[in-house]
Amino acid sequence: MTAGSVPAKFRTALQTPAVAAAIVVALLFAATALGGMTREVVSGVMLGSIYMMVAVAFTLTIGVLNFLNFTIPSLFMLTGMVAWGLTANGYVKFAGSWAWLAALAAGVAAAVAASLLVERFTFRYLRMKHGDAIEHAIPLVSSLGFLLIFEHLVLIALGSESERFAIPFKADVHVASVVVGVPQIISCALAVGVVAALSFVLKNTKTGRALRTIAESPDTAALLGVEVDKIVPLVFILTGLLAGIAGALFTVNYGNVSPFMGDNVGTKAIAAMVVGGIGSVWGAIAGGLVVGLAETLSIYLFGGDSVQMVVWGLLLALIVVRPQGLFATVAIGKGKM
Amino acid sequence: MAASPALALHGVNKHFGGLSVIENVSFEVPAGARMALIGPNGAGKTTLFNLISGVFRVDAGSILLDGAAVENMPTRLRVRAGVSRSFQNIRLMPHLSVVENVMLGQHTLTKGLGPLLSPLAWQRNSRWRRLAEESLRSAGIDIDPDADVATLSYGVRKKIEVVRALMSRPRLLMLDEPAAGLNPRETAELAIFLKSMAWEGLTLLVVEHDMSFVHDLCERTIVLNFGRLIYQGPTGGVQNDEQVRAAYLGSRRVATKGAHTAA
Amino acid sequence: MSGYLSGVLAVLCINLIFAYGIFVPMAAGQINLGGAGFQAIGAYTTAWLSSVAGLQLWLTVPAAMLAAALIGCLISFLVLRTRGVYMVLATFAFGEVVAGFLLRSDFFGGAIGMVVPVHVALPLLVCCAAAVLLLTFYLMATRLGLAMRSINDDEAAAIVMGINVRAVQVTAFTVGGAFAGLSGALYAHSFNFVEAQYFNSFLSIYVLLFVLIGGAQTAWGPLVGTVFFTLLPEVLRISGSWRFVGFGVAIVLMMMLRPQGVITRAMVQRLSPRRWAPQCAGAGTWHGG
Repeated sequence: MTAGSVPAKFRTALQTPAVAAAIVVALLFAATALGGMTREVVSGVMLGSIYMMVAVAFTLTIGVLNFLNFTIPSLFMLTGMVAWGLTANGYVKFAGSWAWLAALAAGVAAAVAASLLVERFTFRYLRMKHGDAIEHAIPLVSSLGFLLIFEHLVLIALGSESERFAIPFKADVHVASVVVGVPQIISCALAVGVVAALSFVLKNTKTGRALRTIAESPDTAALLGVEVDKIVPLVFILTGLLAGIAGALFTVNYGNVSPFMGDNVGTKAIAAMVVGGIGSVWGAIAGGLVVGLAETLSIYLFGGDSVQMVVWGLLLALIVVRPQGLFATVAIGKGKM
Repeated sequence: MAASPALALHGVNKHFGGLSVIENVSFEVPAGARMALIGPNGAGKTTLFNLISGVFRVDAGSILLDGAAVENMPTRLRVRAGVSRSFQNIRLMPHLSVVENVMLGQHTLTKGLGPLLSPLAWQRNSRWRRLAEESLRSAGIDIDPDADVATLSYGVRKKIEVVRALMSRPRLLMLDEPAAGLNPRETAELAIFLKSMAWEGLTLLVVEHDMSFVHDLCERTIVLNFGRLIYQGPTGGVQNDEQVRAAYLGSRRVATKGAHTAA
Repeated sequence: MSGYLSGVLAVLCINLIFAYGIFVPMAAGQINLGGAGFQAIGAYTTAWLSSVAGLQLWLTVPAAMLAAALIGCLISFLVLRTRGVYMVLATFAFGEVVAGFLLRSDFFGGAIGMVVPVHVALPLLVCCAAAVLLLTFYLMATRLGLAMRSINDDEAAAIVMGINVRAVQVTAFTVGGAFAGLSGALYAHSFNFVEAQYFNSFLSIYVLLFVLIGGAQTAWGPLVGTVFFTLLPEVLRISGSWRFVGFGVAIVLMMMLRPQGVITRAMVQRLSPRRWAPQCAGAGTWHGG
C-alpha cells in the first residue's frame, strides 16, 4: 500500500488535540509576541473561521459520501452574488434597514437550494465497490459540470465585476490597541458556533450516528436501519448551509462580492482540509485556522503575490508526503479510494 | 535425491493490527502434487494465498518456491517466480474482452520492449492470440473471444479466470474456490480438466469447500483453523482427524457441497 | 478556406492533441486535473525559445514536448504515490503551482505574457493532430495499452498478473505530458501570444471533460468529445458564457445517463466487422455460455 493511498476516514473527534491546539496557540503567540501583528492575527482568525466552515463542508462530503464536491466554492459565491443581486435590483427594500440581512438570508437559501439541486442530479456518490478508477470519479465530474453551470449563470445574470455590498452600520470595538469590527467578532463566534454545533450533532445525535454509519459502511448502512435516502440529502443541506453562511460572513466582513470570490476561498479551504486530514471534521477546523493565520501573516511578512502558488505548492508536498494531514494519526485501511 | 518442493512455508506469521491471522504455519507441497487447502470460513486460507502471491508481506517466516525464498520478493515478480492464482471473487478485468483477459495472463512471459510495443490488437493471427484462443477452446469455453466478460455467466467467468492463470505457464497454480457456483456436472468436468492440465511439474494448491471435489482431485490436504495448521496429510485422513472434527463444530462428516458449516 | 473556418480547425487540432494528453494517463486509471500546467510548460518553453533564443519551429516544438515530458515524468513519481481524491488534488495543485509560478515570473513575462514570433499554419497542425491520434491508437493496441487498461480496471489484480504498474503509469503520464506540451507549443505558435491567465484550472477541467464525455474506454472517445465540444457551439452559434452553461448541463446529463461516455468499448466492438461462429464442443469438455 503506497503512502498516498491512506483513505479518508471520517472522524468527529479530534485525533491529536494537543498537537492541534499547540500549533494554533504557538502561531498566535509568535504573532503577538513578535510585535505589531495583532491586527493580522485577528484578521487571520476571522479569515480562518471562514475557511474552516468551507473546509468542513468539503471534508464532510468526502468523509461521508466519498465525493470531492467541486460545487462548494460556487455555493459560497452564490450566496454573496445572490444577496448583492437582490439588493441591487431592489427586491429586499421591504425589509427596510434589515434589507442586508434579508438579502444574505436569501443568499444562503439559494446556496442550499443549489446544493440540493446537485444532490438530485448527481448519482452514485456512495462508495462504489467494483467500479474502475474512472467510475469512482463520476460524482466529482458531475460537480464540475454544476460548477460551470453556476459560475456562468451568475456571470450572465449579474456580470463579471466585483461589487460592493454595504451593511448600514459599522460598529468598531477597541481591543488591546487594535480596532476590530463587530461583524468580525460575530463572524468568528458564529463560525465556531456552527461548526461546534455540527460536531456535537455528529457525535451525539441519532442523525449524526446515521451519518457516521454511512461513512463507515455505505454498503450495509441500509441494513443497519439507516434511512439512506433521507440522510444523504442532509449532507447536501449542511454543505449548502456551511458554504452559504461562510459566504455571507465573507461578504459582511469584506463588503465585496464577485463571481470569482469562491475560487480563492476554495483553494484555501481545500488546503485547510488536507492540513487537518481529509475526512476529519475537527481537523478541518484546526486546518482552517492554521491556513487563515498563515495567510495573513505571510502576506504581512512576504507580500501577497505568491500566496496562491505557495499554498498550492505546500498542499502538493503535504499530499505526497503526509496525506493524512498534520493532525491525524495514520489510518490502517483498505485504501479503496 | 528428492527435488525441492514446489512450495514450502516455514513458520509464516501474519497479523493485522492486533489480530493474528496466520500463526506459525509450515507445510510443504511436493512438486507435481495436487493439494487442497481447507478450513472453516475465516480460517485464513485466502490470506495464505495472498501471502504466497505477494499481495501481503509476511511478518515472520519464509516462503520458498522451488527452493528459492520469495517472501521479500515484490508482488509483480512472484508470477515470474512461477506462482499463478485465481481469486475467490472473480477478478477478471470488466472492460477487457475474454481473449484480452486471457492474454493478460501471458504478460509475464513477454520479455523486453519488442513484444510490449507490438500492436497485439491489430495482429489477430499472432501466436499470442492463437495460443489464448486455443486454450479457451481446449477448456471448452466456446464463446466469442471478443465478447465482454461482463455479459457471461458466473461459471464461464470462473473458467476463464483459470485459463488466464494457466497462461503464465506457472509451476504452482493456486485456485481459490474454483468450483464455487458450479453445478455438479461442471464441477466434475473441472476436475477432469485440471487433472489433464498436469504438465510436467505443475503443482496445484486448491482452496475448496466441496469435499467430493477435493477427494476427486487432491491426494493431499492441509487444514487451517484460526490461522493455524491443524492437519497435513492424505485427503482420506481428514475426516477422521480429531482436531479437524472439532474445528468444524463437531460435525461428524466434513461438509460436502451444498452444506457449508460456519466457523 | 475562410479565416474563421481555419481558426476553428486550428483550435480543434490543438484541443485534440491536448485531449489525448489527458486520455493516455486516464487509460491507465490516472485522472489528471492539472492538464493546463503541462500545456503551459509546452507553450512557455516554445515561447521563450522562439522569442528570446530566436530558435526555429522545428527546434522549439520538440524542445517543448521534451520539457513537458520530463516534468511529467518527474511529477509522476510524486503523484503516483497517491490515489483517488488525493491524486486529483495533487494534479490540481500541480496545475495551480505552474500557473502561479508563470504569473509571477518576470523571466517568462509575468502577467503581461509573451509574444511568439513564429507562426504555424493549419496544415502542420492537422499533421500533428493526425500523428498524435495514430500514435495513441497504436499505443492502445499494444501490450502496453492492454496493461494500462487492466490497471484502470483492477490495479491490485494487475500487479498479481506481473504487470509493473508503477512503470506503466509513469510511462502513461510522461506520454500524456508530452502530448499536452505539444498542444501548448502549437497553441503558442498558432496564436502567437501566451499569457499565464489562460492556463487556469478551468482549462484543465474542460479538457478533462472532453475526454470523459467522449468516453475514456477507447481511443475514439477523446476524438468524439473534442469534436463535439469544439464544433457544436460554433455550429449552434452559441458564444460566451452560455457555451459553458451548455457544457455544464451536458456533463451533468452524461454522468447521470451514460457516465462511461459516448463511445464505449462495447460500442466499438459491435461496430467492428468480424464474424465468429461457435465450434462443436467435444466430449469431456466444458460447455460454454
